[in-house]
Amino acid sequence: MTLPGGRVAWVVLLAAVGGAACARKPAAPSATTLVVAVGSDPGALNPAVTTSGSTHPITDQIFNGLVGLDEQLQPIPELAERWTVEDGGRAYRFALRPGVTWHDGVPFTSADVKFTFEQALLKYHSRTRAALEGLLDTVETPDDLTAVFRLKRPYGPLLQRLDVVEASIIPKHQYEGHDLLHGEPARKPVGTGPFRFVSYATADRIVLERNPTYFRQGLPGIDRLVFRILPNAASAVAALESGDVDYTVSVPGPDIPRLQRTPGIAVVKSAGGSGGSACQDVLIPNLTRRPFSDLRVRRAIAHAIDRDFIVERVYFGQGQPATGPISRLIPWAYTPDVRQYPHDPAQARKLLDEAGLKPDATGQRVAITFTHGANQQRLGQALREQLKAVGITLNLEMLDFNAAVERVFVKKTFDLGLASFCNGADPEIGVRRVYVSSNIGPYPFSNGASYRNATIDALFDAAAARVEKDQRRETYVEIQRILAEEVPYFWLIDSETLRAHRQTFTGFRLWTGAFAETVRPVSASTPSKQ
Amino acid sequence: MTHATSAARWLMRRALFAVLVVAGVTTLTFVLIHLAPGDPIYLLAGDGGNASYYDSMRAKYGLDRTIAEQFVRYVRAVLSGDFGYSFMYQQPVIGVVLEHLPATMLLGGTSLLFSVILGFGAAVLCAIWRSRWLDAAVRGVSSVAYSAPVYWTGQVFILIAAVKLGVLPSGGMSTARESLEGIAYVVDLLWHVLLPAFTLSLPLAAVIVRVSRASMMETLGEPHVRAAVARGLGRSRLILRHVAWNASIPVVALVGQHAGQLLAGAALTEALFGWPGVGHLVLHAGAHRDYPLVTAAFIFISASVVFFNVVTDAATSWLDPRIRLT
Repeated sequence: MTLPGGRVAWVVLLAAVGGAACARKPAAPSATTLVVAVGSDPGALNPAVTTSGSTHPITDQIFNGLVGLDEQLQPIPELAERWTVEDGGRAYRFALRPGVTWHDGVPFTSADVKFTFEQALLKYHSRTRAALEGLLDTVETPDDLTAVFRLKRPYGPLLQRLDVVEASIIPKHQYEGHDLLHGEPARKPVGTGPFRFVSYATADRIVLERNPTYFRQGLPGIDRLVFRILPNAASAVAALESGDVDYTVSVPGPDIPRLQRTPGIAVVKSAGGSGGSACQDVLIPNLTRRPFSDLRVRRAIAHAIDRDFIVERVYFGQGQPATGPISRLIPWAYTPDVRQYPHDPAQARKLLDEAGLKPDATGQRVAITFTHGANQQRLGQALREQLKAVGITLNLEMLDFNAAVERVFVKKTFDLGLASFCNGADPEIGVRRVYVSSNIGPYPFSNGASYRNATIDALFDAAAARVEKDQRRETYVEIQRILAEEVPYFWLIDSETLRAHRQTFTGFRLWTGAFAETVRPVSASTPSKQ
Repeated sequence: MTHATSAARWLMRRALFAVLVVAGVTTLTFVLIHLAPGDPIYLLAGDGGNASYYDSMRAKYGLDRTIAEQFVRYVRAVLSGDFGYSFMYQQPVIGVVLEHLPATMLLGGTSLLFSVILGFGAAVLCAIWRSRWLDAAVRGVSSVAYSAPVYWTGQVFILIAAVKLGVLPSGGMSTARESLEGIAYVVDLLWHVLLPAFTLSLPLAAVIVRVSRASMMETLGEPHVRAAVARGLGRSRLILRHVAWNASIPVVALVGQHAGQLLAGAALTEALFGWPGVGHLVLHAGAHRDYPLVTAAFIFISASVVFFNVVTDAATSWLDPRIRLT
């Protein structure tokens, strides 16, 4: 029997598949191109006007800060070669690195630093503006290689705010005369960093190449850096497994065990990066509403929550149970030596009884609603079971992430919410904002619980005004003790994000935004020492 | 009345209708996206700012005005050909959308081709062989292909073809390892389009196989076909010459309807495969609450649906003179 129609179709199909298969390039990847999967499209590439977690993973490879951060999140020289703190913490004098040029060949000078702070960061970078607006008086530039920051009052944590994530330095000659939010330069970024910009195809990929004149000799260790935009996390993992991608900045929890067993792939813990470092997932009770206004109820709930279970089963081990308001990933400020709330349903029930929340005939004491984003469903279910055990009914209200943020922080029409508060390199950056009463306001990631305590306000001010680390630690320890007594929030987990890379590459700097600077291929002739 | 003037009238009426539809979609999209919870300022600028900062940013983007005021300004701008400025890409919206059209058209066109080849081909095979087993198999496969979400089938295909067998790329439109040019680029492109186009083609292929198989069976029972059989015409020839042509009319209508929807309907497939098309773009724009970009994209999508419907009606009428353009 002849099948003309069908045959033609099949021949066409087979020819297409076969032709493509034969013409395909050899599978061996070129070892000097690192392909990175990122989940969202960055849009514009100006790091000084946004804290966006979509923009910074890209731009943090193109730009530099005045300082870098070492693995303990301590400042190390970057665009500033050295610095001195003067006038009791009221002035910081930076000696800039000589001989640094922008990717277009123009020399980098103190004028770029002044321009970046005055025209970009202080106007548009939400975190840096909020912190330095009333604090930074002037940036003086006595010569091309000196920048002096004059402050209105002593401020200890300034250096930690000057890395590439918080304060990328942008070129004055490129941006001057442009509207910084509507600028051509943001589409073709020119930096001083290890990689220079080649091309950006929106919703597809960003291609960077090695900066041959980078000021750190011998770096970067790869020739090309390509970011592929893969919004579906499972697809990113598949691309990693198939070898189309070398590094993925997030791994969906359920995929972790499988990837850990996959030969050729390393699953690594990361405390930080462009999206924020030393993050904590924290439950936010609305303290202006009953029953959270009662301290006994808050302590009861703190005892009812089984953090170990949540870390294991909800977060798939991506972090450690939190013990208080500062993440243990800022070791110099953190203390576990505060009031603890071990999982103890009996104690929780006792405290609820004392608070007058007696169980009714069905065993129910009170009902509260947990407002959460779509990716926190598992957490909601776990909390519902744990609170049910002490007689609290937890209703789950699942919203789109942005809608949940709006309800909790802006509209404040909620009982219990959730946020990931990134502490940053210093508690001043990401802890203060959660607890001080001046930051109760209708905007995201503020003091969402509406917690007010004049002592805490004063202590945070004191910690910021001190320059000596030991004195600052003492103040933060006191803050942690008071907050642990008062439980204005329920601290769940000190997050450590899991990232995964193919073992053909090594040297990822997982604690900072500039993760790719030291990445190098693992070749047969230069075996990895890791 | 001549045929030509009636066709012209038909076209006028359709054009007027098209303008109304696009205007309606524009209004609805604008209102819905502005009412959707989530403030673009927080997504654009990031977190940790204070109230004065967010107020100044809102003013900067014109978001401090009422929705009505913003709408009037928007409509005025669109009528003068200005679709606005994308919040997230910081460039004119129109350029961003147009940049992604070719990718969507390549994926959509290839998947339509696959749908027709797979669907119509399977129907022809069924009609020629008349095997109960083949029939059952085709029906079973097409049910699954129709009802399984592309999001799921696509992941399965990626796992099989890219991860397990390693014969096809897992996603993207071209390799990220090197920059190719000329023939090598085209081959690489075709290589990357196979899996997403196949995934996207399945639901329509399933509909096509059902519809064309039914209409072929119907035609096989008709007198002119029986007469042809009686004259001794071979079965394969008979089907390809007399039966398949008739059965192609509803297929053209189906393909036409689908072509319009592909611009938007491919969004999930595009996101899954990291394919840089309009749907993928709209997904990011929506997540960032990029109002101008989302609204402009929906204007394009609705315009293309209307356009393809008109083309489809014209094409079916040409294929089957019994269908009149009224």
